[in-house]
Amino acid sequence: MLSRIAESLYWLGRYVERAEDTARILDVHFHLLLEDRWVDETATGRALLQVMGRPAAPQDGSDALSVTQALAFDTAYAGSIVCSLSAAWDNARGAREAVSTEMWECVNATHEALPRLVEDAGGQMPHAFFRWVKERCAILAGLSESTMSRDDGWKFLVLGRSLERVDMTARLLSARYGDSLGQAGWVTTLRCCSAYESYLRTYQRAVDGSSASEFLVLDRLFPRSLYFSLRAAEACLSEIDPRSGRAGVDDAARRYLGQARAQLEFSSAGDLLADLPGRLAHLQDRCSDAGASISERYFRPAAIVEWSA
Amino acid sequence: MTWRIEVNHVTDYRYERPVVASYNEARVTPLDTPSQSVVDANLAVSPRAEVFAYRDYWGSLVHAFDLHEPHGALVVTSRAVVETGLGLTTGAGADRDGRLPEAASWEDLRSAATEDRFYEFLAPCPLVSPLDFAEVAAAIRAACADPAEAAARAVEWARSQLEYASKSTGVTTTATQAWSGGRGVCQDFTHVTLGVLRAIGVPARYVSGYFYPKPAGTIGAHVVGESHAWVEAWTAGWTAYDPTNLVEVGERHIVVARGRDYSDVAPLRGVYSGPAGSSACVEVVLTRRA
Amino acid sequence: MGDLFEPYCGGLTGWTRAWDEMFERCPGTTGTLDGGGPLSPRQHYLPLHHALGALSASDVEARCAARDRSFRDQGITFSLSGEERPFPLDLVPRVIPADEWETVRSGVVQRVRALEAFLADIYGPGRIFDDGVVPRRLVQSSPHFHRQAANFSPPNGVRVQVAGIDLVRDAQGRYRVLEDNLRTPSGISYVIENRRAMTHVFPELFGSYRVRAVADYPAHLLAALRAAAPAHAGDGATVAVLTPGVHNSAYFEHSFLARQMGVALVEGRDLVCRQGVVYMRTTSGEERVDVIYRRVDDEYLDPLQFRPGSLLGCPGLLNAARAGNVTLANAVGNGVADDKAIYPRVPDLVRYYLGEEPVLANVDTYVLEDPGQCAHVLEHLDELVLKPVDGSGGYGLVIGPQATDEELSVLAAKVRANPRGWIAQGVVQLSTSPTYTGQAFEPRHIDLRPFAVNDGEKVWVVPGGLTRVALPRGSLVVNSSQGGGSKDTWVLAPTGQARERLAASGRHDYDGTAGRPRPAPVGPVAAGLVGQQQQQQQQQQQGQPRSACDRHPPC
Repeated sequence: MLSRIAESLYWLGRYVERAEDTARILDVHFHLLLEDRWVDETATGRALLQVMGRPAAPQDGSDALSVTQALAFDTAYAGSIVCSLSAAWDNARGAREAVSTEMWECVNATHEALPRLVEDAGGQMPHAFFRWVKERCAILAGLSESTMSRDDGWKFLVLGRSLERVDMTARLLSARYGDSLGQAGWVTTLRCCSAYESYLRTYQRAVDGSSASEFLVLDRLFPRSLYFSLRAAEACLSEIDPRSGRAGVDDAARRYLGQARAQLEFSSAGDLLADLPGRLAHLQDRCSDAGASISERYFRPAAIVEWSA
Repeated sequence: MTWRIEVNHVTDYRYERPVVASYNEARVTPLDTPSQSVVDANLAVSPRAEVFAYRDYWGSLVHAFDLHEPHGALVVTSRAVVETGLGLTTGAGADRDGRLPEAASWEDLRSAATEDRFYEFLAPCPLVSPLDFAEVAAAIRAACADPAEAAARAVEWARSQLEYASKSTGVTTTATQAWSGGRGVCQDFTHVTLGVLRAIGVPARYVSGYFYPKPAGTIGAHVVGESHAWVEAWTAGWTAYDPTNLVEVGERHIVVARGRDYSDVAPLRGVYSGPAGSSACVEVVLTRRA
Repeated sequence: MGDLFEPYCGGLTGWTRAWDEMFERCPGTTGTLDGGGPLSPRQHYLPLHHALGALSASDVEARCAARDRSFRDQGITFSLSGEERPFPLDLVPRVIPADEWETVRSGVVQRVRALEAFLADIYGPGRIFDDGVVPRRLVQSSPHFHRQAANFSPPNGVRVQVAGIDLVRDAQGRYRVLEDNLRTPSGISYVIENRRAMTHVFPELFGSYRVRAVADYPAHLLAALRAAAPAHAGDGATVAVLTPGVHNSAYFEHSFLARQMGVALVEGRDLVCRQGVVYMRTTSGEERVDVIYRRVDDEYLDPLQFRPGSLLGCPGLLNAARAGNVTLANAVGNGVADDKAIYPRVPDLVRYYLGEEPVLANVDTYVLEDPGQCAHVLEHLDELVLKPVDGSGGYGLVIGPQATDEELSVLAAKVRANPRGWIAQGVVQLSTSPTYTGQAFEPRHIDLRPFAVNDGEKVWVVPGGLTRVALPRGSLVVNSSQGGGSKDTWVLAPTGQARERLAASGRHDYDGTAGRPRPAPVGPVAAGLVGQQQQQQQQQQQGQPRSACDRHPPC
C-alpha cells in the first residue's frame, strides 16, 4: 500500500479517536462540575488542560466553559475536537480511494455539519455537541468495521486508533481525579472511558482507586484499557510486517509497545497504583517512540521537498 | 585538410549542500556529419550511475542519468575522438562529394516552401527575438545581392557589436540583452548573429561544439580548449560561420549539437533535490592525434 | 402541458434560432422555437414530458434537495473560484435516440482515429508536412508541441487513451464539433455520478426508457490502460492514477477513477524514477509502476524536461517512458492536436489519414493567420465568437453580439497584434433543453462531451457523455468553471436489443423469476422492497408512459 495512504489512514484513525475521547472526557468533566458543587472547578480545569497537553496560560480561565472552549472549539489549538475532526477529514480526503464510500460519506457529512453543530453548541449546552461527536465517531467505527477490507489499510487505521487510545487513556489516568476527589473522582475517570458500567459488572463492588486503575490499565476484555489497546496495536504491527521473524522481534515499534505492555502486565495492582504517574509517563514516551519508528519505517517521508535546476 | 582530434571534456558540478538525488542530461557527444566522423566516444559519470542514451528532436545524442545517494559533487567526463575537416573548405556547406550547392536567391528564401521548411530556424525562440534586429537586418538585406553575401555581412556585423568578455553573460542571457550590453562570449555572438540572420530571412541555427584554438595543431600536444558555439546559415545548403573568432569553420571545429538556441543544446542540465545553489567548473582538453 | 412547462407555452422571445431538444413546432414547421403554432414534445421525449408534467414545483424541490444532499455527502463538488459547491445537476435528462447516437459515436471515433494518426505523424516522420496538408509552422509554433516527446512511440501506439470531444447542435439540429480535448479531459465522473443520482432521486423517470449504462466506463479505461502497458509488464501491469493532489478542482474525479478501477491514486511525491524505471513508495518498499494515467499537465509532469520547480510531477518520468519502461497516458504533447489552431484542419486530417469524409462537421471557423479571413473577421467582430488559441474552460472567450464597443476595440487590437493567438467562429446558437430554474422548466443552452477510450484495437465511446448546461438565461458558456451545470444524458438502446444493460438497475436484465423464493419480508422493510420490484418491472415495460406515483425519493 502506498506509504502516503498508509500514513493518512493511520492519522485518520488517530484523529477520530482523539476527537471521540476528548468529547467523552469533556462531557464527563463538564457535568461532573454541575453535579458536584464541591469540586474545585479551577484546579480540575487546570489539571485537565495540563494532561491534554494544553497548559492554560495565566490569562486563560479554567472554569468549565473556558476548558470546553479550549479543548472542543478552539480552532487555533490543533488538539481540539474541531481541529481533530478537520484533520480527520483532510486525511480521509487524501486517502479517498482507500476508504470505503460509506466511510468517506460519514467523514464528509460530519465535516459538512461541523460548523452548524459548533454554532448550535453556543457554549451553553455542549452536551448535545459531545453526544453528536461521539455518535459520528461511533458510526464511522461501525462503518469501517463493516465495509473495510482487512488489508494493510485497515491495519494502519486500527493501529492509529489503538495508539491514540493508549495515549488518551494514559492522559486521563494522569489527570488523577482520584487524588483530589477520592471515590467520586475514580467514578468520573471510569465514566470518561465509558468504563463505569463494565467496571461494576466486573468487580461488583464500589469503586476504589486500586481496582479502578487496575481495570483501566490491565483489563483484558475492556476495549479501552491500556492493555487491550496496546495488544491491538501490537497485533496490527505484527500483521503489517510480513517478515516478522521466527525468533525475537526486529521491529522497533513492536519492541517499544511490547516492553511497555509487559511492564504493566506483570505489575501487581499495588505497585501499579504506587507509581502510576511514573509508569504512565514512561508508557507515553514509549508510544511516542513507537509512532516515530512506524513513521520512519512505513511512511518514508520523501526527503525531496523541491527541485532546482 | 583532415584532422583527428581527441576531446576530453570534464564538467565538475558542485552543490552548496549535498543533495539527496539528482537527474541529469548531458549533450556532449560529437555528431556524425558530412564534415566530421566520430571515431570513438564515451561518457563517464561520478558518482557512478547507469546512463541511458537517446537522440533528441534535434538529432543530438543525449545521455541521461540519475543519482540517488547523497552527493556534493557530480563529475561528467566525456571523451571523444573525431575526424574533422572531411568536407571541402567550410565543410558544413558541402555535400559528401565536397560540392557546394547553388547559392539561394532572395526569391528562394521568400518562397512559402522554404519558409515553412525552416520555420523553426526563422521564428522567435526563447533566447533570440529576430524582431529586435529588424532595422539592421533591413539595411544588410538592401545592401546585399544574395543571401549568402548577406549572411557573411551579418556575421561581421555581429562581431563588430560585441566585445569578447568571459563571464560577462550567463546561460539565460538573450541575444537582445547581449547586444545592448555590448559584451559577451561565443554563445552571445552566436545568438546575436542568429537574430540578424533570421530577421533578414535567412534560416539559421545554433551549433554547439569545441574549437581547437591553435591554427597549427602539434600532434600529441594537449591544448586547453573550451566549449564553443557558432552558427550555420541556410542559403540552399548549410554554411557555417564562427562569429566569435571570424575564422573559417573547418577542421578545428567539432560539432556536438544543433538547435534553435543555447537552450536546445545545453551541454549539461538537470534538477536536484534541495534548495538552489551550485557551481560548475568546466575543463576541455583537445589533443590533435593525426 | 403541466404548469412547470409554462415558459415553453408563451413568452419565448430570444430563443428564436436555437434547436430545442424536447419541443418542436407541430409537423411542417421548423424545429426551432420561433414562429407561431403550438409546441409539442418530440417523439422520444413524450414519456419524459408526461412524467415531468405531472409534477408540482414542491415535488421538484424535494428531489432537488435530495440530490444536493447526496452530492454534498459524497463530496461531489466542484471548486468554483476557490469555493466548493455541489456539482449542479439539472433534473431534466437529455435524451438521445439510438440512431442519432450512432452518428455521434461514429463521428467521435473517426475524429479520434484521425487525431491519433496526426499525433503519431508529427512526433514521428512528419508525412503530413511533406505532403503539404498542414504547414509545419502550425505545429511547430504551438506551445503544446513538445519536442521532448518526439521520436518515440508508446508501446501500443496509442497516445489518446481518453478523449473528450465537445459537440453542439446548430439551429438545424446537426451535431458539430466545437473542440477536441486530448490532454486530460475531465467530467466522466460526473457522467457516472449524475446517472447514479438520477436513479436515486427520480427512479420513475427511467420507467419508460431503455437507457444505456455508463457505469462500465472505468472497466473500459482500465482495459485500455493495461493494453498500453510496456511489454515487460505482461498481463499483470501495475496501473496508477497520478493526480496533482486534493486541491485540484478535478480531484474528486481522479480519486473516483482510481477507486472504480481499483488502482493506486498517486501524487508526484509518491513516485520515484530510478534508472528509467518508475516506482511508487509503499509500506513494503518500492513497487514498480507500469502505466500511469496521469491527470497532471505536461508542463508539470517532469521537472527534468519541463518546469524545473514543479512538485506535482516526478523527474525522470519522460525518459522512463522513452525507454519503454512505463506508459504515460495520455501521452505527452497531445495538446498540439487539440490546439484551436489545428481545429480548423481536423476535417482535412480525417480525409488525409483515413480517406473518409468527416461524419461530424466543425463549427464554421475563420483562420486569422490568413490575411483575407482576418480582415473579414475584424470587420465582423460584433457577429462572431473569438477564442484565444491557448484558452480553455471558456476563459478569454469573447462573444461578439454580447460585447460592448470598448471590449470589441480591445479585442481588435489583440487580434491584430497576434492573429495566430485567436480563432473566430460564427455564433452557434447551441441547442436548448428544458432546465429547472427554481420555478419552472425553461430553455437553457446545452452542449455535449462524449468520452472516447482507445485501447489500440478499437475506440469505444461511452453511451452518454457530459451534457453541460449554461444556467444563466441566454448564456452560451457551459463550462463548469464559468458557472455551468450538467444533465444526465440518456442514450437509448436500439429497439430489439434485448441483452443491453440497463442504466437504472446497473445490473443485467433480470426477469425476477430465477432463483429460490425468499421468505416474505415483514414490517417497514417490505415497502422498500416493493418499491424496488416496481422499479425493476417499470424498466421492463416498454413504451408505456406511466404517471409518477412515487413522489418520495427512496434515499
